Amino acid sequence: MIPENIIGKSISRVESAEKATGTAVFTADMKLPNMLFGKVLRSPYPHAKIVSIDTSKAEALPGVKAVVTYKNSPSVIFNTAARTAQQKINQVDDEVIFGKVVRYVGDEIAAVAATSEEIAAEALTLIEVNYEILPAVFDPLEAMKPDAPQLHDCKNGNNIATLIKLPMGDVEQGFAESETVIEQSFKVPVQKHCQLENHAAIAEVSHNGRITVWSPTQTPHTAKNLLAKIFGLPASKVRVLNPPYIGGGFGARIGFCGKTEPIAVLLAQKTGRPVLLSYDRKEDFIASDTRHSGYITVKLGAKKDGQLKALYINAVLNTGAYASYGPDVIAVLGTTNCSVYRVPNVLFEGSLVYTNTTTAAAMRGFGNPQGNYALECSMDILAEKLGLDPVELRLKNIIKPFDKWMLPYPCATSALEDCIQLGAKSIGWERRNEPKVPVNHKVRGIGMACGTHVSNAGPWAIQYDNAYLAVQQDGSVLVTVGITDMGQGSATALTQVAAEALGVPVEKVHVLAGDTDTSPHSLGSNASRTLYSAGLSIINAADKVKQQILDFCAGEFGVDSSELSIKNGIVSCKDPNKGQLKFEEVCDLANHKDLQFVAVGRNKLSNAPPWIAHFAEVEVDLETGEVEVLRFVAAHDSGKIINPTIVEGQIEGAVLQGVGYALSEQIVYNDKGQQAQDSFHEYYMPSIKDTPEIETIIVETEEPSGPFGAKGVGECAQVPVAGAIANAVANAIGDRINELPMNKERVLAAIMQKEK
Amino acid sequence: MFQKYVFPRNVSAAVHLLNEHRGNARIMAGGTDLILDLQNGKYSTDCIVDITRIEELKQISEENGNIVIGAAVTHNQATKSFLVQQNAAALAQASAAVGSQQIRNISTIVGNVVSAQPAADSAVALFALDAQVRVVSADGLTVMPIENLYAGIGKSTIDSTLSLVTAVLIKKVEPGEGSAFVRLEQRKALTLPMLNTAVKISVKDQRIKEARIVMAPVGIGPVRATESEAFLKDKMPSEEVLQEAGRLAAENANPRDSLVRGSRNYRLAVLPVLVRRALEQAINNAEGGGF
Repeated sequence: MIPENIIGKSISRVESAEKATGTAVFTADMKLPNMLFGKVLRSPYPHAKIVSIDTSKAEALPGVKAVVTYKNSPSVIFNTAARTAQQKINQVDDEVIFGKVVRYVGDEIAAVAATSEEIAAEALTLIEVNYEILPAVFDPLEAMKPDAPQLHDCKNGNNIATLIKLPMGDVEQGFAESETVIEQSFKVPVQKHCQLENHAAIAEVSHNGRITVWSPTQTPHTAKNLLAKIFGLPASKVRVLNPPYIGGGFGARIGFCGKTEPIAVLLAQKTGRPVLLSYDRKEDFIASDTRHSGYITVKLGAKKDGQLKALYINAVLNTGAYASYGPDVIAVLGTTNCSVYRVPNVLFEGSLVYTNTTTAAAMRGFGNPQGNYALECSMDILAEKLGLDPVELRLKNIIKPFDKWMLPYPCATSALEDCIQLGAKSIGWERRNEPKVPVNHKVRGIGMACGTHVSNAGPWAIQYDNAYLAVQQDGSVLVTVGITDMGQGSATALTQVAAEALGVPVEKVHVLAGDTDTSPHSLGSNASRTLYSAGLSIINAADKVKQQILDFCAGEFGVDSSELSIKNGIVSCKDPNKGQLKFEEVCDLANHKDLQFVAVGRNKLSNAPPWIAHFAEVEVDLETGEVEVLRFVAAHDSGKIINPTIVEGQIEGAVLQGVGYALSEQIVYNDKGQQAQDSFHEYYMPSIKDTPEIETIIVETEEPSGPFGAKGVGECAQVPVAGAIANAVANAIGDRINELPMNKERVLAAIMQKEK
Repeated sequence: MFQKYVFPRNVSAAVHLLNEHRGNARIMAGGTDLILDLQNGKYSTDCIVDITRIEELKQISEENGNIVIGAAVTHNQATKSFLVQQNAAALAQASAAVGSQQIRNISTIVGNVVSAQPAADSAVALFALDAQVRVVSADGLTVMPIENLYAGIGKSTIDSTLSLVTAVLIKKVEPGEGSAFVRLEQRKALTLPMLNTAVKISVKDQRIKEARIVMAPVGIGPVRATESEAFLKDKMPSEEVLQEAGRLAAENANPRDSLVRGSRNYRLAVLPVLVRRALEQAINNAEGGGF
C-alpha cells in the first residue's frame, strides 16, 4: 500500500546504509588499473614571475611519468567556477592551468604524475624554479589604489575585476525625506568551507581521446563544458561524474574542485594512464576557494516611526588572485540584502578587487551572509537611535507578498512575520531589556536578525534543468538528473518528489545524479536550487509519463484517457465496472506491445524567496571577552517541506557554520603573504563543545512556483547567524564590534573601550 | 619510515632495545606527537619501541607519600583516577583539557612532558605540583625535578633514543593544600591554549603559606610567576590580594604575538584574570572543594 502522501515525510536517506557501513565510495577511494598519482608544485611567494623552470631532474627520477608546466600545457584562459552568468559583459576569464606569473601562496606552478604519491612528492623537490619576486598586496582597499601592485589588467580601475551598481528609486531623495539616518562600516573575514572530503579528481583518457573525469564537483555539466573548452574537445567527448559520493561541498566545488580536474586530465593525456590527483588538507585550505572577505558600509534612512525611506549598501570584496565566482557573489550580496525590507529608495554599489590571496568564490550564502551581517547590525543601530524595539522595527518594514522590490521575480509567499513572532517567543525576547547584572563576571544578551535568499540561480544565470524519467518494464522508475547529492540529501528528497508525482512507492524509484553521460544538462547543485529546480523538471517528466500511461490505458479500457486516473499505484476508471490495473501490470502490458513510458522533463524558469528569522542568546565573559552562544532559535520559511529531518539537518549545520563565522573562523595572512591558518588545528571551526542548543522552527508556505510548494533551504540558515549573534553581543556588553569574527580579543577591546 | 615496531615486556627490555640500536630506536607511548613528527621529518628512526604494553608503566599508584603515574598512563586515565583527583586536582583538570576525547584515550601524561611543547597542559600542571620524574637509561635510574626536562621550545633534555621517563611522582596532598588549572582557548576542544595556568597553594590559619604559579605559553616551557609567588607568602587571600597576584604574574610572562593564538597584548591583558581565577579555585580546592 502506498502512503497517501510521501511529501512531508522524513523517510530515511537513500544512502544512509552505505555511508554508515563505510562502503560508500568517494573519489580518492577509487583505484583504476595502471593508475598514476599526481602532485602539484605551488608558489611559495604571494606574487612572482617565473624566470626559468627546469624539470629535467624531476623527469629523470625513476617512477616519474610526466611533468607539466606552462611550457607544455594548454594556454586557454578560463574561470575555474565555470560561471554561467547571463550577462556576457561580466564574464571574467583570468586563469590558465599553469601560468608564468603566480599571484598567491599556493598558486600552481607545475605538476608531476608518478607511480606513487611519495615519488611524485619527491619529484616536486627536484623541480628548479627561478623567481622574480614582485610586490604584493593583500587588502582590497590598498589594492584599489592607483599605485598598488597590479595583478591583472583591469578596465574598471586598478585591480578592480568588476564594478556593479543596482539602483531602485532615488536614494538621495530617500535620505532627504528621512528623519533619522545612520551609517556604519563593517569588516568581514575569509571563511573556509571545510567540507570533509578534500578536493580530488581522477582522469582517464581513452584511445580515441575521450576523457572521463571522476570528481566531487557540484556541477558536472558545467565542469564538462569547461574541460572541453580548455582541451579543445567536443563536449560530447568529455564525461564528468561523481564516484558517486561527495563529502560535502558548501560551494567549494562549483565548477572545478580547486584545479584537480584540468591538472588530472593534462597528466592523463601526457601519460596515457589514469591519474588520481588528491589535494591534502593544506592544499585544500590554501589553494581552493574561500568565502569573500571585505568591507561593507550600510546607510539607512527612516521616518521617526521607523518606516524605512532609503537604503545604501557599499561592498568592497576581496576576490583574491582570480575572479572566479566573485562577480556573481557581489551581485547576490546586493540583491538579497536590498530585498529583505520594503524600502522605496535603494542603491547598491559593489567593487570586486584582486589581491595576492587565495581566490574567493562561492560559499554557502554566496555573498548574502556578509551583507546580511552588516545590514542586520545596522537595523539594530537604527532601532536604538529611534528608540524602537528591534523586532518592532523589522515587523514594520519586512517585505510582504507582491511588494515592489528590485528582484525580477515576484515574492509570492512569505511567512517571515510568523518566523519573527515565533522565534521571539521561543528565545524569550522580553528578557532582552532586563538589567545586565554580571554573574561571575559574565553577562547575557539576546539578539536577532532576519533575511532572505534564493531558490534558484536565475534570472542572472543560466538556470535550466532537465530530467530523464524512464519507467522500467516491472513498473519501477529510473530518474536521471544532472544535479549532485553532495551530502545535502537531494537524492532522497527528489526520490520523494518523483514517487509523489507518479503515484508509486519511494522504494520503486531510483534517482541517479551527477553523471554527464546519463543526464541532460543541469546547472548543478548550488544556489539552494537542487530540490527546487530539479524537482520541477522531475514533476514535468512525471506529468508527461503519466499522460503516456493514461493514453495507453485508454486503449486497454476502451475509454477516453480523461476517464482514467493513477492513484496509489493503481490505474482506475471513472466507471467502476471497467475494473482497474496495477502500475506494474500496465508496464508489463506496454512492454509486450513494444512500448516504454519515458520522458524528458524541463523546469519552469523561476525563482522564489525563502525567509529566515534567527535569534541568539549569548553569554559574554567581561574579563576575557569570551562569547558563548547558549541557545539559538532558527525560524524558517522554505515553502512546503519535502523531508523535515533533512531540512532540520541543513538548518542546524548551517547555523553552526554561522556560529564559526561569527565568533572564531578566519584565515589571515602573515608578513610573508602566507595563510596563517592552513589546517583544522589552527582554523577554529566550532567543536561539539562550542555548539549551542539549536531549535528549528519551520513555518510552511505553499510556494506556487516550487515543486509541491517547496523553496530553497540549503544556504538559508547561514545567512543571518552572524548578525543575530552580533546583536546579542551588543545587547550584552552595550557596545558594538563591527568586525568578524568576534573573537575574545576584539570583544575584550570593545568592553575595555566601553569602560573608559 | 621505521622498519621495526617492538613491544618490550619490561623497562629493562626497552632500554636494551635502545642500546642495541645505538640511536636508531625511539621510545613511543601514545604517539600522538611522535607519529606526526616522524611524518613531518622532525625525527626519523628505524625502530619504534612501544612502551604501552609494559604493565608497571600503565599504573597510577601510591608509594612513600607520592602518587606515581607510569609513563603509559593516558590523559583520560588520569582524569578519571580518584588518586589524581584527590591529590592533584590541577593535573586532573589539565588532562581533561588536552586535545579531544580520542586523543586523550591514547596520549600520555609523560609523553606530554617529553614532547616539551611550551604550553602542554598536563606539563604545566605538573610544574605547579612540583613533580619529579624517574629516568631510566643504560646508566641506571635517576630522579630529577620536572623543570630539568626543558631544553628549549619543543626540545627535551630526554633523548628518547637513549633513555625513557618511566614515571612522574607527585607528593600526596597535605591538609590545607589545593591546586587548580585554568585554560583559555579559541575553541573548547582540539586546540592548543592561548594561555594556561596551574596553581598549587598551601593555606594555614587562613594565610597563604606557599603558592606555586605556573603559566604558559609565555616563554620556553612552563614559566613560574616568581614575583607573584613571593607576594602571596603569608597573605590573607582577599579579592584584592588575588587581583594583585594576577597582575604581578604578568611581570614574569613574555608571550608572543600569534596570528593563530592571539596577540601578546591580549594575552598579557587576560593572564592576570586567569591567574586570579586559578588561585581562587585552588583555594577552594584546598578547603575541600572538588574541581
